[in-house]
Amino acid sequence: MSLKPRRVDFNQTWGAIRDTIKGVITLDHVPRPIWNDRFSDVYSLCVAHPEPMADRLYAETKQYLIDHVSKLLVQVQEEGEQSLIKSYYHYWSQYSVGSQYLHSLYLYLNQQHIRTQKMSDAEIIYGSSDSSGGEQMEIGELALEVWQSGMIAPLGQRLVKLLLEAIGEDRTQKTCSIPIDAVRGTILSFVEVQGYKKKGQLQLYQELFEEPFLKESGEHFKRDAAKLLQEKNVSLYMERVKAKIEEELLRARRFLHASSLSKVSQRCETHMVAEHLEFLYSECTAMVQGERKKDLSNMYDLLKSVQNAMVLLIDTVLDHIKTQGLAAIGNIDTENIHITFVENMLGVYKKYKLLIQEVFKSDQNFMGALDRACSSVINHKFGKPVCKSPEFLAKYCDALLRKSSKGISDSEVDEKLAESITIFKYIDDKDVFQKFYSRMLAKRLIHQQTQSMDAEEAMINRLKQACGYEFTSKLHRMFTDMSVSADLNNKFNAFLKQDNIDLGINFSIYVLQAGAWPLGQTVTTPFTYPRQLEKSVQMFENFYHNRFNGRKLTWLHNLCQAELKLGHLKKSYLVTMQTFQMATLLLFEHTDSLTFREIKESLQLTSEQYHRYAASLIDCKLLIADSTELKPETILRLNMEYNNKRTKFRINAAVQKESPQEIEQTMNSVEEDRKMYLQAAIVRIMKSRKILKHNALIQEVYAQSKVSFAPSIQLIKKCIESLIDKQYIERTPHSSEEYSYVA
Amino acid sequence: MKLTIKNWTGVATWRWVANDDNCGICRMPFDGCCPDCKLPGDDCPLVWGQCSHCFHMHCIVKWLQSQPVNQQCPMCRQGWKFNNK
Ligand SMILES: [Zn+2]
Ligand SMILES: [Zn+2]
Ligand SMILES: [Zn+2]
Repeated sequence: MSLKPRRVDFNQTWGAIRDTIKGVITLDHVPRPIWNDRFSDVYSLCVAHPEPMADRLYAETKQYLIDHVSKLLVQVQEEGEQSLIKSYYHYWSQYSVGSQYLHSLYLYLNQQHIRTQKMSDAEIIYGSSDSSGGEQMEIGELALEVWQSGMIAPLGQRLVKLLLEAIGEDRTQKTCSIPIDAVRGTILSFVEVQGYKKKGQLQLYQELFEEPFLKESGEHFKRDAAKLLQEKNVSLYMERVKAKIEEELLRARRFLHASSLSKVSQRCETHMVAEHLEFLYSECTAMVQGERKKDLSNMYDLLKSVQNAMVLLIDTVLDHIKTQGLAAIGNIDTENIHITFVENMLGVYKKYKLLIQEVFKSDQNFMGALDRACSSVINHKFGKPVCKSPEFLAKYCDALLRKSSKGISDSEVDEKLAESITIFKYIDDKDVFQKFYSRMLAKRLIHQQTQSMDAEEAMINRLKQACGYEFTSKLHRMFTDMSVSADLNNKFNAFLKQDNIDLGINFSIYVLQAGAWPLGQTVTTPFTYPRQLEKSVQMFENFYHNRFNGRKLTWLHNLCQAELKLGHLKKSYLVTMQTFQMATLLLFEHTDSLTFREIKESLQLTSEQYHRYAASLIDCKLLIADSTELKPETILRLNMEYNNKRTKFRINAAVQKESPQEIEQTMNSVEEDRKMYLQAAIVRIMKSRKILKHNALIQEVYAQSKVSFAPSIQLIKKCIESLIDKQYIERTPHSSEEYSYVA
Repeated sequence: MKLTIKNWTGVATWRWVANDDNCGICRMPFDGCCPDCKLPGDDCPLVWGQCSHCFHMHCIVKWLQSQPVNQQCPMCRQGWKFNNK
């Protein structure tokens, strides 16, 4: 064939094309040579000389398609209403495929003639070109357009009515008398027929079919809900509704376009869940309190679809966890209350965390409720002036970190300590915890009661991770002091050796930085050293002061300890004890009996503090008293009959225990530290801001301190006042509600 | 000897002997450290002048660096000399 434009007889060429497209559109067999000829016929008409005949070809083809579809319209209806969908689908399947072939046959016309004359997108937007109808479409699109106007327009309403009936039948009888393919194919033809459109491909489908479908489905769901409600059983109702939604989604997948799926379930949820919330809620409390997992999980799934419907369930769960938590840790009055507290609280936490994972799919809202519940329980005061949780938790850690013979493995200890952080995170007064923790750590270190330095460090790192560097810096300093002291002991021993000095005892010492150790020893105890110790103490003080300028040493006698050899008994014993206990026993070196008053006077101790030490020696039977109550005139003597299976033991445990006064002292020092912390924060903030309004200052201070405690506004105000007194800041002249930094 | 001390472990705390609670330069307490340091103690020592005023070492060094001529104690304005007692 020649590509050169030439003169063509339109009628003759069109006649040939028309005969072939009849076969193409009805999927008849079209031999390859014929197809090729018609392909070039289309070309030759488009490039005909002298005038191209593309427009005529287009008009004739369009008319042909219109005639063809109107014939099909008659045929579709021939077998009556019952077969309408089936026939429609049959002819649609044929026509839609046929029209694609036709589109290929007209390749040249589509590409060279129609596309080039189509308006550009820009022209559409600015409306410069006249778009009044006359525009030509590519042949594939034209064919579908003709189907829409010639077939769907006249038949659509009837088809939809039948389609809805078919789906209704599927709903009630679970079968469909019309083949599913035909129903689905017919429904999807409303989408496919718009396939060439750039926008709004779903518009016909939605307007013609989806809207009435959803409306009818909604009515169906309402009726279904009403029927289910008659059984008045929430559990059953939820099961049924969940099954119903599943079923409807399955149905939608079988019959509808994918875009309708979520709309179907939404309809279902609106009519079966959202419109019956009161009914569902009526069982909510019972379900939560009974921890009915299946019901709760169903409730969660259903409420999730309705906006704000979950709030009530979340609140109910929160209340329940709170109640359970308060019951678990209130009213515990055992000896090991700190262990019971931590273990019970962890039990509650783990139980409900698991429940939320299992039942509520770890939903953040429920996790948040768990957090709020735990925090409220852990910070509950149970009628006491302060919350005891920080103290209990610190004690719990202390018991794990302390040398003991309880026989739990290192890994168990590590695991328990790791878990205790869970509770720590909920504590508001983290500074109180820190106070107790550091006191107990101090005692573990000084009394060499630490089970493992690795475990100690791991725990401090956990606290640091949870609360930051500042929170644990004091704890770190304590460790530093331990190694500094070890070094100091070596140097002192070297010095003694060099100068050939014999102290008569094995002497070692911890020298601690006053500010880093929470030892609460502001007033030093007056105390006369036993003669045997005088030299050691004197030598060390000289050594230290020569070495370190400008430093003052203060002995913490109540923390010093000794190992005393008892040689007055049948066996000889090595007993570890506290220094006051030691000093007391040493007084009996040259005498067998002394009155309580005599002892006190020679040691120069006040009676209140000394009482527990003396009593502890009587309790452990090393001393015998002649009256049960310790009075000044009570006579004490060495127990010469003392007997113990073990020859090496310690008796200082009793006096090392935290006394109620110490606990009170600890709480007081927390108060002092808070003031210091707040004042430092205020100065820091004012120094950088220079001038700040009262409320802004309060807010910033609050935000900074929140990590370790929640200060009362009262306290912040007090601190501001005292800084004004100390002239760090002042009120600005124009407002009493504004402060400025005094440089 | 009925009773003999075998071992004795003493515990003592140390603090700076300063004639004030706070550093006159940074105003931080001597128990704490200067604003540039994180930990008080050996890492942030105190020093004394011959005028007997006492500061964080880091604070007075910084102060002296800012006064190239005529270096004075910031408290009493006497010429500054370290007291190496
Ligand atoms: Zn300073
Ligand atoms: Zn410093
Ligand atoms: Zn001075």
